[in-house]
Amino acid sequence: MRADYIRIYKSVHTWTGILAGMALFIAFYAGALTVFKEPLARWASPQSSVPHVPLEAAPDLIAKVIAAKPDVAKGFNIYLQDTEDVPARLGWEVRDPQADDHDESSVRHHIAYLDADGGVRMEPSTPSGLTSFIDVLHRVVGLPVDSDPNRWIMGVIAGLYAVALVSGVIVLLPSLVKDFFALRTGKNLKRMWLDAHNVVGIVSLPFHIVMALSSVVFAYHDGIYDLQDKLMYGGKLASVFQRPGGAAANAETRDPAAMLTPIELVARTRELAPGFEPIGLQYQQATGPRAVVRVWGKDASAVSPRARGGFVAMDPYSGNVLNSDYLPGKQDTPNLWISSFFALHMASFGGVAVQWLYFLLGLAGAWLFYSGNLLWIETRRKRADRQTGKIPAQRLDTRLMASATVGVCLGCVCGISLMMIASKWLNGQVENLNAWLQGLYYLAFFACLGWAFLRGGGRAGVHLLWLAAALTLAIPVTSLVGALFPGTGVWAHTSAAALAVDATALAGAAGFAWMARVAARRIGQGALDTVWRLDTKAHSGLREAAE
Amino acid sequence: MKADKPAPIRRDWLSKSLAGAVLGFALALGASALLAALIEGMPLATRSQLVMWLVPPVWLGVLGTVYFFGSGLRAWGWLGGACLALYGGLFLAGAL
Repeated sequence: MRADYIRIYKSVHTWTGILAGMALFIAFYAGALTVFKEPLARWASPQSSVPHVPLEAAPDLIAKVIAAKPDVAKGFNIYLQDTEDVPARLGWEVRDPQADDHDESSVRHHIAYLDADGGVRMEPSTPSGLTSFIDVLHRVVGLPVDSDPNRWIMGVIAGLYAVALVSGVIVLLPSLVKDFFALRTGKNLKRMWLDAHNVVGIVSLPFHIVMALSSVVFAYHDGIYDLQDKLMYGGKLASVFQRPGGAAANAETRDPAAMLTPIELVARTRELAPGFEPIGLQYQQATGPRAVVRVWGKDASAVSPRARGGFVAMDPYSGNVLNSDYLPGKQDTPNLWISSFFALHMASFGGVAVQWLYFLLGLAGAWLFYSGNLLWIETRRKRADRQTGKIPAQRLDTRLMASATVGVCLGCVCGISLMMIASKWLNGQVENLNAWLQGLYYLAFFACLGWAFLRGGGRAGVHLLWLAAALTLAIPVTSLVGALFPGTGVWAHTSAAALAVDATALAGAAGFAWMARVAARRIGQGALDTVWRLDTKAHSGLREAAE
Repeated sequence: MKADKPAPIRRDWLSKSLAGAVLGFALALGASALLAALIEGMPLATRSQLVMWLVPPVWLGVLGTVYFFGSGLRAWGWLGGACLALYGGLFLAGAL
């Protein structure tokens, strides 16, 4: 390949990478955690205080709730599992019609249960917003709300990321054989970081291609569908995706007691797909002429079309299957292709092993962007004069980039750990916990960013890594306090999922502490002619005096 | 062609990037129309999703490789020509 191309693509890679890198760090760090959204939600949910109605009594509960509040028939859920994040057997959501489809913060949740006398009780519930906010950070690269404009910004970042991948591969291709698997650790630190950046990038390239392309889809699918509808479907597409059941609202009302029971629906689903483990029933228009129940669940041996699994849609009165396009393992080839695109982004295939793989790939991706920024800075480093040993002042842009990189990346890490602790300590203590969590995240994020600019990337990096280690260590410590002193209002779940969250946080804290020590050592003993040494002037003076 | 020393490649950042982003998107939409026409037997709910997923890979594939063109003008020329050919063909075949 002509050297010209390599030079051009090096510029393309540099500038797309530097524009997108920090936003992508947030998306990947928060995204890696979002792989384990369910265990995190279980960890963060306090023990439910309402009686859990047995599944056998669910038909009675449904009938009583609909009798008391007919509107609920439009849409409600029966939860089949008793995990910590399930507040009751029956729940429903009320969406703000003004809010964005993806904006879950405006959703009002309600639950229903039967009291000791068999009377129905309904109350609002406030599930922990911790995991959905971490998910939002990951979806819109650190912005606070998953809205259309924010997704468009994310789409631009994802597009830059895709171009950075293409250009990175083009730059590396001519020397791939020589450079691949070569990790030259030696005096030339930049060489080592570049080798590591290359090897992580190439090894996880398929993962990154999937992430970049699917993220562009998630950002722009509405617009693409609209254009395609005008261009080639003659406007027919809009009707295909319309939600069913809206038209015949004034038809006769059916008796929900005539529906098959949840136990019967689950049994029917199991017959249909033996490996499929149902987790919940989502009823739509339950008393209308076109009543639908979606039996949601998971099948680790198949591809699930969504992060939460897949579903089969049935008529809750007859049990007839209405739609199995989204049933894992039972999809036709075209639908399996479409589901695979989602599953490859969301790790909803292959069970827990794949989730851990994605978690590690996500963290490796975050590291990739961080190391890319380091290389940008290192390339623009001003070295000490060979003859005189005089330490030059570093360029302003590299100093600012060092501060921004350290501040944004560690600000995100610290913010998320702080939110996790607060979700337990502030539960029941404050009026609007979820608003507090978001406020604390941005407080930590901007405080870290400010500190990084105040003290310079090198010094602040050490401080913020220790802070990240401390805040992350506080996650399992909080649970320990909950286990030892239940009177504090903090809780500790003992399910494997919740304990795994604590154990992972412990490992993460150890990792941050190790990085803090290594970074401190570099500042103490490393070269002086770098942005990571803030007080270059004082040191160069000392060195000149010594020589 | 003579094996002369090749002419240097013009950077033309703005015009090449615009060609890749704009004409790349047009090509991607055209490619999706072609795929939609080829799999017309499939139910629309499935076909439309499959076809939508084709757009970003083609779009970003073009945007990613557009800097190989010798100049911005060439990028606009070739990609514009490809667009004309693709949309012309689709129009004549009645796929639009």
